[in-house]
Amino acid sequence: MDLQLTAEQQAFRAEVRAFIQERLPQDIRDRLRAGHPPRKEDTVRWQRILNERGWAALHWPRRFGGAELGQAERLILMDELYRAPAPLPQVFNITMLGPVLMKFGTPQQCEHFLPKLASLDLWFCQGFSEPGSGSDLASLRTAARREGDHYIVTGQKIWTTTAHWADWTFALVRTDPEARKQEGISFLLIDLKSPGITIRPITSIDGEHHLNEVFFDEVRVPVANLVGQENKGWDCAKFLLGNERTGIANVGLCRERLDHARTVAERTPQGAGRLIDDPKLQAELATLDAEIRALEVTNWRFLLTPSAQQELPAFASVLKLKGVELQQDVNALLARIAGPSGLERRGSDDTAHGPLTPRYFYSRAASIYGGTSEVQKDILSKFILG
Amino acid sequence: MQFELNDEQSALRDSLARLLADRYGFERRRALAISPEGHCPQTWAQLAELGLMGLPVAEADGGFGARAEDLLPVMQELGAALSLEPYLPLVLGATAVRLAGSEAQRAECLPAVAEGACRLAWAHDEVAGRHAPWWVQATARREGDAWVLSGAKSLVLGAPLADRFVVSARLSGEPAQREGCALFLVDAKAPGVQVRAYPLVDDSMAGELVLTGARAQALGDAADSARALAAIDGTLAMGVAAICADMTGAMRAAYRLAVDYLNTRQQFGRLIGQNQALRHRAAEMLVSLELAKSMAITAAVAVDDPGSEGAHLDLHRAKVSVARHARQLAQHAIQLHGGIGMTEEYAVGHYLRRIHVLDQLLGDGDAHAARLAALLTQGPAA
Repeated sequence: MDLQLTAEQQAFRAEVRAFIQERLPQDIRDRLRAGHPPRKEDTVRWQRILNERGWAALHWPRRFGGAELGQAERLILMDELYRAPAPLPQVFNITMLGPVLMKFGTPQQCEHFLPKLASLDLWFCQGFSEPGSGSDLASLRTAARREGDHYIVTGQKIWTTTAHWADWTFALVRTDPEARKQEGISFLLIDLKSPGITIRPITSIDGEHHLNEVFFDEVRVPVANLVGQENKGWDCAKFLLGNERTGIANVGLCRERLDHARTVAERTPQGAGRLIDDPKLQAELATLDAEIRALEVTNWRFLLTPSAQQELPAFASVLKLKGVELQQDVNALLARIAGPSGLERRGSDDTAHGPLTPRYFYSRAASIYGGTSEVQKDILSKFILG
Repeated sequence: MQFELNDEQSALRDSLARLLADRYGFERRRALAISPEGHCPQTWAQLAELGLMGLPVAEADGGFGARAEDLLPVMQELGAALSLEPYLPLVLGATAVRLAGSEAQRAECLPAVAEGACRLAWAHDEVAGRHAPWWVQATARREGDAWVLSGAKSLVLGAPLADRFVVSARLSGEPAQREGCALFLVDAKAPGVQVRAYPLVDDSMAGELVLTGARAQALGDAADSARALAAIDGTLAMGVAAICADMTGAMRAAYRLAVDYLNTRQQFGRLIGQNQALRHRAAEMLVSLELAKSMAITAAVAVDDPGSEGAHLDLHRAKVSVARHARQLAQHAIQLHGGIGMTEEYAVGHYLRRIHVLDQLLGDGDAHAARLAALLTQGPAA
C-alpha cells in the first residue's frame, strides 16, 4: 500500500502547478480566493489558456483537443486548479456533453461541437430539471413533436445554471408521450437563440443570479441535433450522470476553502488577539482537516482501484454525500469566521472581504443539485438492503 | 498509489478470519470473558502458529519484520471478532524493544516473543497524564550495575497475562518533559512488581502496574534519551495505526449485524429495512465505514512511510476521523436494533464498548485533534 504519486504523476503535478503559476491571471486568482464564483469571462479566458496546452479536456482523445490522460491526472489537475484557485473547465461542456457526444453522437456532431466545447466558443448549459421534475427527473414533460426535419419543442426547464450566459443547451425532452416514463425521452441540442425561447433569471438566497427558468414555445430544433436515437435519451442522461464521479467529491475545493478559513482567521482580530488562537476554532479546523483527508484518500481509493469499485458500485454516492457535507461545513465555518464583519452586503468586486456569508447560503444548494443527499442515500441503501 | 492487500496479506487475513470464525463465535467469546483466564489460551497458541506473534519482530530476531500495513488486516479481523487476546500489548511491547533495545537485548528477548513463548506488555501511561503522549513520573535510579524502578503505570493492556513489561521511566526532569526518559524491561515475577488486574469495560484484561524498587534492565543506553524518545514515539505511532485498524474491523462487523437485522426484523407487517429513515441510517453507516477504512490505510502508510507527504499529520487525522466515524456507526447500529441492541447477550453493543475503549487509548479523538491543531497552526514542518 502506498499513498504516493508515481514519479510521472509528480512530474505532471509540478508541470501543472508551474503552468498555473505562470499563466493564471492574477485578477481571477484574487476573485476566486476571496470566495467569488468565476464570472463567465473568467472561465472563458482561463479555459482558452488551458486549451492551448490540451488541458481543457484532459481525458478526451487528442483528435478532439484532449490530452488522453487518465483518472489520476484528471484528479491532479482538478486539485491544482482548486489549489490555485483557478476556474475549472466548464463542466457542462467538458464533463457532461463532450463524453456524451463521443459515445452517442454522430461523427458530424463530434466534428462540429467538440472543438467548440473545448475552446468555449460555445457555452452549453444543462436543460434537465423542470418545475414538476426535480429528483424524479424521468417525469419530465417538456414535449418535442416531430414535424419533417424538425422537432417542435414546448415546455419549461428550471434551475438552469448559467443559461443566461449560454449559447446552447442540451435538454431532455419527451418525444413519445405514450411510452413509459424513461422510454419516451430524447436528448436534444438546442440553440438558445432560436425563436420561442425565453430565459428568466432566478435570484438565489446569496442574492446572486446563477439560476434561470427557460421557456420553450414552439421552438424549432433540427432533427440533426438529436443525440443518439429518438426515445433513447435516458441512456445518454444516465451515462452523463455516471461520468460526473471524477469531480463529485470536490476534495480540492474543500481543501482550498479550509486553507482560506485559516488565512482569514489569522488576520481576524478577536479582542486583543487573533481569532486563530481560539482553541475551539483550532479544534474545528483540525477536525475538518482530518475529515477532508479521509474524503481525499477515499476518493483516490475508489477512483483508482477497480476492485473497490466492484465491491461498492454505488461508490459515487459515498463521494457525493461526504463531499457535499464537508463543502457545506467549511462554508458554514467561513461564514462564522467572517462573523459580524461578514454581515455587510458588499459588491461583487470586493476582494478584501469576499462574499463569505452569501457563499455559505449558496452552499446549501450542493446537497440539492446533482442528486439530493436523500437520493444518494436511497441509492446506497438500495445497494445495501436491496 | 496502491490500496489493495498483497497476496501474503490476504492469505494471512483469510486464515485468521477462518480461525476466528471457528474458535471465536460470540457465545464462545462471552464464556471466555467470564473465564478465569479472560482470554483463550488455545486460540492464542494457534495465533502464534499462524505467525501473528512474529509480525512485529524483525527477521533477524526470528520474526517476519512486518510493517503497519501487514498488521492492518490482522487487527481488522481481531476487531471484528471482538478478540480478547492480548495481541495489541504484544505488538506495542515488541515494537518498543525493536526500536529501543540493543542488538543483544533484541536477540535475547524477541525470539521467544515471536514463538509465542513470552508475552510482552506496554506500560507507559500514567493516570495523571490522561491523554498526553508524554507524562512519565515513574522514576529509574541506578543501584550498582542494575536499574531500580518505582512508580505506577495505568491501563497496562494484558497486564495480568504478561511475562515481561516494557516500562517508561524517568532519570531526570519533570513529568511532561520529553528529555530524561528511558525504556526498561521488567520481569513480571521480579520482586517489587505488583499487578492490580482488572477487566476493562469491553471485557479485555488490563491492570495497574505498581513498581516499588523493581529491578529492571535498561533498553539500549539509558543515557540516550533521544533514542528512547524515538522508540516511544514509534511505538505509539504503531499503536495508533493498529487501533485504527481494529476499530474499522469492529465497524465492519457492527455494520453487517445491523444490515442483517434490517433485513430480518419485521414490524407493522413488513421488514424494518423498508423504512426510509432506517435505510438512510444504513447508508450513513456505509459512508462512515468507507471513510474509516481509508484512514486506517492512511495511518498504516504514515507509520511505514514517515517521509511521505503529510505523514506527520496523518496519524492524528486518522485517530480523529476513525474514532468519530466508529462511534457514530456503533451508536447507529445499536439504534437500528432497538432493545435487543442494548443487551449484553447480543453482540452489537459490544462493538460500542470496544470502540470506546480503543478511542480512549493512546490519546482520544479530541486529544489528537488538539495535537493536529497545534501542528497545523505552526504551519508545515520543515
